[in-house]
Amino acid sequence: MTTQRAKKSAAFPRVKPGYLALALGVVVVALLPLLFTSRYTTNLLILGAAWGIATLGLVVVLGYTGQISLAQAAFYGLGAYAVALGTTRWGVSWWLALVLGLLAAILAGAVLGSTTRKLGGHYLAMVTICFQIIYTLINTNWIAVTGGPDGISNIKRPPFLVPLNTAQRYAWFALVALLLVAALVWWIRDTALGRAMRAIRENELAAEALGVDTRRVKVIAFILSAVIAALGGAIYASGYLYISPDSFNFDHAVAFLAMVLVGGSDSALGAILGATLLTFLPEWLRDLKRIYLVIYGCAIILVIVFMPEGLWGYVKLLGRRFARPMVLPPARGALRVGGRGKAGEEILRVEHLVKHFGGVKAVDGVDFTVRRGEIHALIGPNGSGKTTIINLLSGLYVPTAGRIHFLGRDIVGLRPNRIAHTGMARSFQNLRLFRELTVWENVLVGAQREEGSEGETRDRAMAAIEFAGLPDRVHEICRNLPYGHQKLVELARALAGEPDLLLLDEPGAGLNQTEKQELIQLLKRLNDMGLTILIVEHDMSLVSRVATCATVLNFGEKIAEGTADQVLRHPAVVEAYLGDREVALGV
Amino acid sequence: MFEVRDVHVAYGSVTALCGISLEVREGEIVCLLGANGAGKSTTLRTVSGLLHPLRGEVLLRGHPIHRLSAEAIAKRGISHVPEGRRIFPGLTVRENLVLGASNRPMRRQELEDDMTQVFHIFPDLERLKHALGWTLSGGQQQMLAIARGLMARPQVLLMDEPSLGLAPILVQEVFRVIKEINVKRGTTLLLVEQNASMALSVSHRGYVMETGRIVLAGTAQDLLRDPQVRDAYLGGRKTG
Repeated sequence: MTTQRAKKSAAFPRVKPGYLALALGVVVVALLPLLFTSRYTTNLLILGAAWGIATLGLVVVLGYTGQISLAQAAFYGLGAYAVALGTTRWGVSWWLALVLGLLAAILAGAVLGSTTRKLGGHYLAMVTICFQIIYTLINTNWIAVTGGPDGISNIKRPPFLVPLNTAQRYAWFALVALLLVAALVWWIRDTALGRAMRAIRENELAAEALGVDTRRVKVIAFILSAVIAALGGAIYASGYLYISPDSFNFDHAVAFLAMVLVGGSDSALGAILGATLLTFLPEWLRDLKRIYLVIYGCAIILVIVFMPEGLWGYVKLLGRRFARPMVLPPARGALRVGGRGKAGEEILRVEHLVKHFGGVKAVDGVDFTVRRGEIHALIGPNGSGKTTIINLLSGLYVPTAGRIHFLGRDIVGLRPNRIAHTGMARSFQNLRLFRELTVWENVLVGAQREEGSEGETRDRAMAAIEFAGLPDRVHEICRNLPYGHQKLVELARALAGEPDLLLLDEPGAGLNQTEKQELIQLLKRLNDMGLTILIVEHDMSLVSRVATCATVLNFGEKIAEGTADQVLRHPAVVEAYLGDREVALGV
Repeated sequence: MFEVRDVHVAYGSVTALCGISLEVREGEIVCLLGANGAGKSTTLRTVSGLLHPLRGEVLLRGHPIHRLSAEAIAKRGISHVPEGRRIFPGLTVRENLVLGASNRPMRRQELEDDMTQVFHIFPDLERLKHALGWTLSGGQQQMLAIARGLMARPQVLLMDEPSLGLAPILVQEVFRVIKEINVKRGTTLLLVEQNASMALSVSHRGYVMETGRIVLAGTAQDLLRDPQVRDAYLGGRKTG
């Protein structure tokens, strides 16, 4: 397979599409201001570039991270007013004024991001709308500073290599800024940060459990989007030389949202496409006089209904025909799991663990110990607290009482992403994949750690993919994979972080006998490699074949413990859980 | 009772069923076996009207139903217990069960009697009847999905992996109940199940599917004896 891959890459020497797009962008930027000759259309070009930059900010926060923001015009306004006030009233240089504006945006973005980090959906939308409205009110009414509804005129342009005294020269400046921001946003997408953002968009809980500090990443996304918008605002202010609060109100926040949705929120090029279209479309429709707004509105609705991924999604679909997947090198070493401790040493100790939900005692004083090298089964009737224990161990729930020692350290109260970094990985009962990401991206999120290089992350990810037997499917979108493969992706993603302990919640559910046999082989291989496994499972023939020991729960309490064989003969276990023992064990 | 004739179904450009035909007679329990992605769930979804075939037809007592909406098909007595516990998370267990019976007009007493019956089968649900759906554990949600299907008192019950995520003792109970409603109420059942030995032990007949086609059909006894079925679905031998 390795030789086949190498041959393919030799046969098709290829340019990365990113560089191709960048080269194309440079050409377009060079030519556009020459094509737009009238003062009016050149001004539109400048406006399009400024709006394009603000929309690129939304790509980061909405497109990548999945957090809706209707306050983008406020950040855009912060940049514009900083440059306007700086160059007219405070008498500082344009570049210093810009830096002040960006700092204000960082601060505002951090405030908005950190106050909303636990919100989502319509609550987040409401808070960002309030933020935007407060901004507009201050902007309009704090006349002493902002000039109020009259706005500010005589704004200066930045000193540059050549004086930017004509609209055409300034248009070049604005378009270069747009191109640089677009390249930045494009580049972020496939960095560790960009992957973490998109993982949050797809499944926040899974991202957190894999070691992504979701709160921090969301705040960073808000800050980035705010800074980018402020830059757009600064470019707009110096382009038009006059600003007033009307250009930074809620209507504009909605317009930016429309631009990113029409263009395609997941892509830098889509944002530019959307911003361009919605900047120029009203001008083309101007001749239709009274009904132009109706047509404009209908056009937006049509695009959103029929192209849910935006115009760019459509372009991408056409382009897929010509795309050649990136060739990935095979891993340099085999997958390493299980850590380096002595077999048989205590790795996890749970003491008197309690979790109450209101009046429901889901887990009520459970003690057990997992030793290195074991496959330890956690079994019991439905609702006996097994999944709750997995959630407590991985930090998704905080215990009501009790202690959890993992590798000699008390992990109660640590956030799930911290626990993942200590060497514990888990799977979920109902698959929680990043559905719109590829297999490769899913596993990369599991592999990435704060220390170590991107190269090491890729190596770990590829080793996990090779272990799971998925090298042929690396570039497929997870949503399109059959269920059995999705389960393997989830496993590979958990293994890519090289855990000491793997928690599996019903890995056999929904698999047929053939697939279960394969799962048993896989678990045994992992165990031979030194990985300790805690498994929740209802298939007793699977448990009896892989587990070295078992703990049985009923109504949140431990009712039996011992080797798998002893436990499955225990009268209380047979009565509460197994029923007909022969049928249950499939013998 | 009902018949699927040469049905083709696709999800977008991906073909899921390419010309399957099967028949379920009144009072029968029939099971569908096959690997993940073979098209078993798609078949159930086509019969219950959640999907519509590109070609072919579904007949209920000789009348075509494949163009009807899922709601209309449910009113004709076909009830579907979907895979993956599609319960109503924001409603209580009791409210979920009441909604299960919404396919027909009924008296209050009748409703209470039916509910007592399903509580008898799943005592856990009675204890939890005022709990919201989402607070139930995975296995309890599965019980609720089955119970809700039973509340419809259907003539035909389509069950997609009823044993998924249930403790062994409850798996045995679910299959006992399947047998019982078939014998006592005369309900016709079409089962999709990974636990093939359990499914075949209660079924009259079965079909084996592979990649959108039916590759084998026969009585439950024949399938239990078939060496290929034993290897692939009954865990008869270890595989490579």
